[in-house]
Amino acid sequence: MWETLAQAVINGLLIGGIYALVSIGVTLIFGVVKIVNFAQGEFVMIGMYISFFLATQFGIDPLVSLVVSMPVLFLAGVLIQHFLIRRVLGPNDMPQIFLTFALSLLLLNLSLMLFSANYRTVHTSYSDEAWHIGGLYIPVAKLIAFAVAMALSGLLWVFLHTTDLGRAMRAASQNRDVAMLMGINPNRVFAVAFGTALALAGAAGSLLMPFYSAYPFVGQVFVLMAFVAVVMGTLGNVVGALVASLMMGIAESLGIQFVGADSGLIVVFGLLLLTLAFRPSGLGARRGR
Amino acid sequence: MQISVKMKWLWLVIGAAVMLALPQLVTSSFAIDIFIRILLFSFIGVAWNLMGGYAKQLSLGHAAYFGLGAYTSTIMQVNYGISPWIGMVAGGVVAMLASLPIGWLCFRLRGPYFTIATIATAQVLMLIFLKFRDFAWGAEGTTIPNLGSAPLMMQFEEKSSYYYVVLGLLAVGLWITHRIEKSWMGYYLVAIGEDEDAAEAVGVNAPKIKRDIYMISAFLTALAGTFYTQYIYFIDPATAFSFNVSIEAALVSIVGGIGTLWGPVIGTVLLETTSALLQSWLGSSVGGIQLTVYSLILMAVILWRPTGLIGFATDVYHRTLRRKPARA
Repeated sequence: MWETLAQAVINGLLIGGIYALVSIGVTLIFGVVKIVNFAQGEFVMIGMYISFFLATQFGIDPLVSLVVSMPVLFLAGVLIQHFLIRRVLGPNDMPQIFLTFALSLLLLNLSLMLFSANYRTVHTSYSDEAWHIGGLYIPVAKLIAFAVAMALSGLLWVFLHTTDLGRAMRAASQNRDVAMLMGINPNRVFAVAFGTALALAGAAGSLLMPFYSAYPFVGQVFVLMAFVAVVMGTLGNVVGALVASLMMGIAESLGIQFVGADSGLIVVFGLLLLTLAFRPSGLGARRGR
Repeated sequence: MQISVKMKWLWLVIGAAVMLALPQLVTSSFAIDIFIRILLFSFIGVAWNLMGGYAKQLSLGHAAYFGLGAYTSTIMQVNYGISPWIGMVAGGVVAMLASLPIGWLCFRLRGPYFTIATIATAQVLMLIFLKFRDFAWGAEGTTIPNLGSAPLMMQFEEKSSYYYVVLGLLAVGLWITHRIEKSWMGYYLVAIGEDEDAAEAVGVNAPKIKRDIYMISAFLTALAGTFYTQYIYFIDPATAFSFNVSIEAALVSIVGGIGTLWGPVIGTVLLETTSALLQSWLGSSVGGIQLTVYSLILMAVILWRPTGLIGFATDVYHRTLRRKPARA
C-alpha cells in the first residue's frame, strides 16, 4: 500500500515538472502582458514535432534538440507578440481571448493537416531505462525531464530576480502603469515575456519526446493542466504556478492509481472546482481578483 | 442603420416567406442538410450571444447545456418512452437548473479565467456521462429507435420537417433576444458587458442579471441539443458534449457581430457556407481544413473588424449611402 502510494506520488511529481514549465509560461504571460494565452499547449506540441523531426531526420537526441526548440519558439513568441497580440491589448477582453484561441485552433488544425492525427514517438537509448530504488521504479527519461524542467524554472527565477530585464518584467506584472512611468519599455518587456513563455513550452515539448507521443491534440492535455494550476497557484504568480503544477501532477497520478485509469482529469477538474468554491483567489493568494 | 418600422416589418415578412418556401423550392437533400445546420448553429449562436454577446461573459462551455438537453430528452425517450417534445422542455429545465451551480462557481472568475472555467465544466460533464454506463450507455452511446413517420415523437420522414422545427426554434430565439434587447434587462446586460464594476456602482444587480441570462442561454442551448440528437438519431458523450459546439456557438456570434440580434445568423451563414464549399471542393478527406479556415476568419475579424460583419456592413452603409459616420 505505502509503496503503491509512494510510486504514484513519484510518477505524479515527475510529470508535474512538465506541467510546471507550461503553467509558468501561462502565468508569466498573464502576469506581464495581462492576457491568457490559449495557444500555450500548441507550442508544446510544436516543440515536440521539432524534436521529433530533428530526431528522425538527423538523429539528434530530443534532449539535445532543446537548444533548437527553445530559441525557435522564443523567436516565434516575440513575433506573435509584436504582430498579433500587441494589436489587441486594451481594456476589452473579447479580442484577447479569441485571438489566442483562434491561434490555438489554427496551429492545432494546421498540424492535423500537415502531420495527420498519427501518434509519433522517438525511441532513445534511455527511453526504457529505469532505476529501481527499494521497491520504487523511476524511469530515467522522466527523471531527466523533471530535473531539466526544475533547472529551467530555477534559471527563470534567477533571471526574474537578478537581471534588469527580469526586474522590469516583475515590475510590469505588479503595476504596469507605474512601471511604464519609471521608463520601462512595455513592448520590449512584453515581447521578452511572451518569447520566454513560448521557449518554456518548447522545452516542455522536447523534454516530453523521449517518453510521450506527439500528435496534434497533445497540447490540450497540458494546457488544461496549466490553466488549473495557474488558477490554483494564484494568477500571475510564478512560484505559485510551480507548486500548484507539482501538486496537480501528484493529484492526477493518485486519481489514476486509486480511482481509475481515466479519472485523472476528473480529480484535477474537481480540484479546480473546489478551489473556485473555497479559495477563488488561489492558494498562494496575495490579493483577490 | 435607421430603417423605418414599416420597412422593418416588410423585410421581416419577406424574409419569413422566403425561409418558409425554401425547402419547397430546393429539394436536394444535401442542400436542406446544410440549411438545417445553418439554422441550428444560428440558434445556438443566438443562445450564446445573449450571455456572451450582450453581457460579454465569454463562455466556451455551452456544449454542457447542449449535451444535458440531448441526454435528458434521449433518456426520457429511450428508457421511459416519453416524447422528445416533452423531453426537449425538460432538458431545457435541467440545463437551467445546472446553470445555477455552474454559474455560481464560474462567475467567481472574470475575463479569460471565466472562459477556462466554463471549458472545464463542459469537460467534467462529458467525463461524467462517459462513466454513466447503466444509466446513459457510457462511451458507446446509443441510437434512437427509428419509428418512421412519428411527428409526436419528433421523427419525420421528410427532411424539410426538421427544417421547419429548427426554423421555429431560431424564430423563438430571435424573438426572445429582441424582447430582452428592448427591455431593462438588455440595458443592464450591455452595462455589465461594458464595465461590470461601473454597472454595479450605479445599482445594477450584476450577479442576479448574469445568473438570469445564463439560465435563459442554457435553456435555449439545451433545446438545440435535443433537436440535434433527434435529427442524427444518435447520442454519445463525445458528440453531445463536443467542444466544437462550444467553439462554433462563440465563433458565429463574433464573426457575425457580437451583441447584435442578427450577428449569429449572419456569422453562421458565412462560416457554414464556407465549410460546405470547402467540403464539396476538397472532399472531407483533409482533416482539420474546416477549423483552419474558421480560425483564419476569426483572426481576421478580430484584428480588422472587431464589430463583426454587421459592424462592417453598417460602416459601409453609412459611408456610401448616408455619408454619415457610423458612430459619434
